[in-house]
Amino acid sequence: MTKNPNTKIKTIGIPSEEEIRQAQIDFSPRCSSAGRVNDKETQKMVRYILDFARKHSLFVLAYGTGCGAIEIPATMTSRYDAERFGIRGAATPRQADVLLITGYLSTKTLKRVIRVYEQMQDPKYVIAFGSCTINGGMYFDSYNTINALDRYLPVDVYIAGCMPRPESVIKGFVKLQELIQNGNAGNGECYRKNLDWYRENQQKVIKNWNFPDEYNW
Amino acid sequence: MNNIIQKINQTFTLKAKQKNENQLRVDVDKNLVSSVLLYLKTQLGFIHLNHISCVDWIEDNEFELVYIVWDPENKITVLVHTRIDRSNPVMENIDTIWDQANTYEREMREMFGIEFPGLVGAKEFILEDWQEIPPMRKDFDTAAYAEKTYQKRPGRENARDVREELMKRTGEELPDFAKKYSRD
Amino acid sequence: MNINREKETTLYLGPQHPGITGNMMIKLKVKGDIVTSAETHVGYLHRAFEKLVERRNWLQSFTLMCRFCVPEPDPMELTFARAVEAIEGREVPPRGKYIRTIVAELARIQSFLLWYGGQSGSAGLYTLGQWSVGDRNYILDLFEDLTGARIYHMYMWPGGVRRDLPEGWVDKAYKTMDYLEKRLDDYNKLLFDNAVFQKRAQGVGIIPKDKAIEWGVVGAPLRGTGIKHDVRIDEPYEAYADMDFIVPTYEGGDVWARALVRRDEIKQSISIIRQALDNLPGGSYYNRIPNPMKWKLPPGEAWVKTESVRGEIGFYVISDGSNKPRRVHLKGAAYTHGVKVLEKILPGQNIADVSFILNSLGVCPPEIER
Repeated sequence: MTKNPNTKIKTIGIPSEEEIRQAQIDFSPRCSSAGRVNDKETQKMVRYILDFARKHSLFVLAYGTGCGAIEIPATMTSRYDAERFGIRGAATPRQADVLLITGYLSTKTLKRVIRVYEQMQDPKYVIAFGSCTINGGMYFDSYNTINALDRYLPVDVYIAGCMPRPESVIKGFVKLQELIQNGNAGNGECYRKNLDWYRENQQKVIKNWNFPDEYNW
Repeated sequence: MNNIIQKINQTFTLKAKQKNENQLRVDVDKNLVSSVLLYLKTQLGFIHLNHISCVDWIEDNEFELVYIVWDPENKITVLVHTRIDRSNPVMENIDTIWDQANTYEREMREMFGIEFPGLVGAKEFILEDWQEIPPMRKDFDTAAYAEKTYQKRPGRENARDVREELMKRTGEELPDFAKKYSRD
Repeated sequence: MNINREKETTLYLGPQHPGITGNMMIKLKVKGDIVTSAETHVGYLHRAFEKLVERRNWLQSFTLMCRFCVPEPDPMELTFARAVEAIEGREVPPRGKYIRTIVAELARIQSFLLWYGGQSGSAGLYTLGQWSVGDRNYILDLFEDLTGARIYHMYMWPGGVRRDLPEGWVDKAYKTMDYLEKRLDDYNKLLFDNAVFQKRAQGVGIIPKDKAIEWGVVGAPLRGTGIKHDVRIDEPYEAYADMDFIVPTYEGGDVWARALVRRDEIKQSISIIRQALDNLPGGSYYNRIPNPMKWKLPPGEAWVKTESVRGEIGFYVISDGSNKPRRVHLKGAAYTHGVKVLEKILPGQNIADVSFILNSLGVCPPEIER
């Protein structure tokens, strides 16, 4: 099997895992400067198709971190039917695209959420749900809940309200789709680049990074 | 009802008194609590433990523990009150009488710092890696702690009275009915 | 993982797990797929409500009170309002009592409809969840007309309710009840006639009848063991004394019996709402409180119980005479169900049944840690 030196993609046969990974990184909009296809128009089209596909299959991680989880069943079921936008649940972080933070985060949950976020694969998006993720909401003076989520995790879309209605949840997802189509969503790489800053903030709140014994990555 | 009051008072020389039509209150010395509860459970039929609560009376340097038990036959509730020293809070463990008391006691140990000798269960129940004084004590200031620990989004500091802040921003007059409910 | 029937393995169920009812963790020790011991870990939702209300005045506390447990905000408000009234000695006008009864029963129905989805979903039957959670929106619409919000209402205040019933609301409520009654037959056919659900529910998660009260089991799980205890009947509050309803009980103590209890309770709730709407008295709905910013309660204590959706909940409230509560302590049904009862009944069960049992016990973690 020979490689085309210009495209770095095998012309025949099944690509190896390494090459698939490389291709994904290369095709992702944030790494566009390392484009293999020099033709601007082709690049644009490929990116458009990728984003179009991504925005219509948003797998949301089933993790009800707070009381906002009550409006998710309503959003998913018959009246509001979020599945027509391609939004549906995923059981594990490794299959999910969207981490939906449904409400306040206690420090104990924040530790788990950070881990869940780091387990998710790129491209990954975070939607923060409810006033308490924005500025603490009514728990602003609680000793156990964080106030501003974007100090600890990169957030793509905020949905205000306590509780936000299913319409606003769908509106938030549509906004995320818009951002994906424009190539502005997905901060996984930015998070990795600025990991020091995020870690510093996280460690102010989470004193002990160890998990119980039999917990593995 | 009167029958129960009489029985409690005679057995333990206490002063149980009726609170309302189906509740009665009895104030008990710390050392008597487990005997009174055991007597209520085995002799008088108060087999359901409703609740165990703790109140911090910082002025008196005391914790007040309230055990609430219920009799499913006669639908009567008894509130057993006791006070313990706040500077050295130790209380008898009653999870041999009711197993679910263990949960309450673990929570009180964590939230108030009350020690229950012989209590089984992990030290951490609700909090994780807590380094301050037990948070439900009155002398723990949650707002100051939150201020110190968590990063605030700018803009919230002026929002003590939202109406005044909005008035300043928009230049509108506060309506008359709202003036009546001012904070001062 | 080495699946070996002899070797004991630790399995963490949660906090991120699709089968868990809320944000909590159960540490299971398993041999093969049989649970040998279980330990509940909570604290992921601790917001320190009981600390925060010490910094808020009596009326401000209501915004926090309804957020204790999200599937059933109204029973929490109702219980706290009753506790405040008990301390102050404030009376509620008859119309206020009837409206409160209606709202509490509507809250019960919407929570049971959500339970239908959870219980069937944990058995792999997703159709019912689509139907019942979709129909739940009709009740939330009623709430929205009445209070302006779908989930958190802050509707019941000391002395009554915040607003009177809007125009046309009663007709709408009747219509919704008629619609739901028709739909209930469909749900029950789908769930209770289903062989998968029957096989999975019968004989699973048994609570022994002789231990149930002593273990602190309340609500539908208690009535599923054959013991008839309901606060609405034992110590009637609001307008329940005027209502004609029965409390269903079933023998067995397993998931199946609890499901049957809940199936019958929805019908009773619909009947209670119809009766309350029929006999709705006129007059004032609200016994006005003074300026809430300066409102002080006399010193005193109150222990008030209410039958919420999951079972008996109680508020222990102490006032020291100031405008803020001295101590507010909630005892939710999940406080015993979710920790000690669960740890007792899970050993011997299959791993696949754990979330099934969790749903049938109605474990709501924010009630445990608050």
